[in-house]
Amino acid sequence: MKSRLFSLAIYMSATLSGMLVLLYPFFLPAVSQQAGFGTLRVEQMPLMMTLLLGLCLLVLLFEAQGPMVNTKLIALLGILVAINSALRFIETAIPGPGGFTPIFFLIILVGYIFGGRVGFLMGALTLLVSALVTGGVGPWLPAQMFTAGWVGMSTPLLHPIIRTFTARKTNRGSPTINPEILLLAVFGLLWGFLYGAIMNLWQWPFIIGPQNQTYAAGLGLLATLQRYLAYYLVTSLVWDAIAAIGNVLLILTFGAPALRALRRFRQRFEFNYTPEPGVIDKQQGEGLT
Amino acid sequence: MKQPWAWVGWLIAILVILSITRNPLYLVLTLLCVLFVGLTLLQAGSDIPRPISLWKLAGWIIVLATVFNALTSHYGVTVLFTIPGKVPLISGRITLEALVYGATNGLVLTGMLASFTVLNLALPVRDLISLIPRAYFPMAVVTSISVTYLPTTLRQFQQIREAQAVRGHQMRTLRDWLPLLMPLLVGGLERAMQLAEAMTARGFASTRPISGRRQVYPRICMFLGLVLLALGWIAQLAGAGVYGLVIILSGALLILGGLWYLGHQSPRTTYHRRVWGWQDWLTLIVAMIVLSICLLPLPGLSRQTLYYEPYPALTLPPFSPWLGLAMLGLLIPGLLVLYKNTNEGMVSERMKEEE
Repeated sequence: MKSRLFSLAIYMSATLSGMLVLLYPFFLPAVSQQAGFGTLRVEQMPLMMTLLLGLCLLVLLFEAQGPMVNTKLIALLGILVAINSALRFIETAIPGPGGFTPIFFLIILVGYIFGGRVGFLMGALTLLVSALVTGGVGPWLPAQMFTAGWVGMSTPLLHPIIRTFTARKTNRGSPTINPEILLLAVFGLLWGFLYGAIMNLWQWPFIIGPQNQTYAAGLGLLATLQRYLAYYLVTSLVWDAIAAIGNVLLILTFGAPALRALRRFRQRFEFNYTPEPGVIDKQQGEGLT
Repeated sequence: MKQPWAWVGWLIAILVILSITRNPLYLVLTLLCVLFVGLTLLQAGSDIPRPISLWKLAGWIIVLATVFNALTSHYGVTVLFTIPGKVPLISGRITLEALVYGATNGLVLTGMLASFTVLNLALPVRDLISLIPRAYFPMAVVTSISVTYLPTTLRQFQQIREAQAVRGHQMRTLRDWLPLLMPLLVGGLERAMQLAEAMTARGFASTRPISGRRQVYPRICMFLGLVLLALGWIAQLAGAGVYGLVIILSGALLILGGLWYLGHQSPRTTYHRRVWGWQDWLTLIVAMIVLSICLLPLPGLSRQTLYYEPYPALTLPPFSPWLGLAMLGLLIPGLLVLYKNTNEGMVSERMKEEE
């Protein structure tokens, strides 16, 4: 119990620190009335953000991989990440419209079925592996891994909502549309917009443009939010809407059979192998680990 | 030069320089250094096929960044023309300064992309994976499996597509992708099952997990490190000066220290460990010297020339010869590759003569 609480504290602190790094334009007016970015120059900010997000990501990844010294999870994740990276590779070769990408479909479903930790790793590693094979490694990668990891990590939050909906539907009789798929589609829709909005924060404070859309230090929270919203509506809404609609269509079309397959394999993966203690000691003694 | 960490040191120096300056002269100089290293590697035969040509991509990035900034940023005093009407974001003055700033941003992005491409040319994927720290060995295994199985997955996708096409399956709507994606997913999961069984049978991950204090204290360090990172970030933004950066640095050290300790708790075997040769040391030392010259307030260097901006009125970018000279140090991996090629050529010629 203590270990789980401690683990939760690390998750929370890493997530909150990451959010502080990305969301600073909104709280900066509260901590500083001076112009600029504290002691750093504008040009130094992306580098600093990459370093800080990278450190938060390192801690989150370590914590998430904690219970993963397990061949089943390692093999499962390795193959699922390969499938998702293959989908991204195909999407890079034949680009879809706007911000459409097929990768979030599997990240959401895996997070939903296998839990937040596996979901986080699925999101973060998909971005890492696909960046390695498509040459997309760059300073933006920690932020992409972080945000894609959040998509998978937040999916288990749907469980209580889906349970409530399913119970209500059962009381009323047989449902026409599977509420589970419907809610997952809504979740995909939300993340389609949220992913773009979070990734925009990466460069928004440094963009020079119309006064009512750009960041300026010293404004209040509401004014900063208004400006960001105006910027988002003008530059990203259509792009992200295509991504969000793509997520919805993929989940509505392939969600039910994919969930069935993942559930079946989750049951098949629930076997445990525990070596005898004597065997471990012997192996360690012989340096065979 | 085979040591991945030496290449990482070189890459860090490039990225830091590209991040801190918007002076087009320094950016072009850095980009030329990267291109020189890339070309020497290509000449040495480490050609990796890429889906898109880097030159084409670089051209697109620079053009797009220039046009985007010119259309969306209407600052600057040298007006080229005006877009009439009330089109949101686009209508207004198009200035020379915005064009130059956009092109500069394009140069930065191209430099970053080119430097990572050079890293991909220099190091095979297995060396890139070997850079993953010891504390993350399960993740490194996952990444290795994914990278290994990716071509198999693509091949399997192609086979399923052909099998469905033979059966007369046509791709008209999104639903028609179902007979392609589901066999891919289920086939992949079956393969994961077989792989897990094979790994278990070979005793993978059968070491005793780290427990007790050996695991708790480093994790406490990492937790404290995160708290310090957040506090330092807020302090830095609030203008606490060097104190904010010191707090951030302390947090980073706690996190990295915790990870280092945890990484050394489980014994791991490395086959074919890369050794540090004199060329690796030279590259790393030169990269760190270049980085220090660009970052530290050393006397006699006009570091202000790094912080050039074309706004509000375009002026010629300043240039410090000493800084320029220091940046030429980034050519070192390319020079070493040339040196190695020349040496190998001479040896082979001598052998031919002897024969």
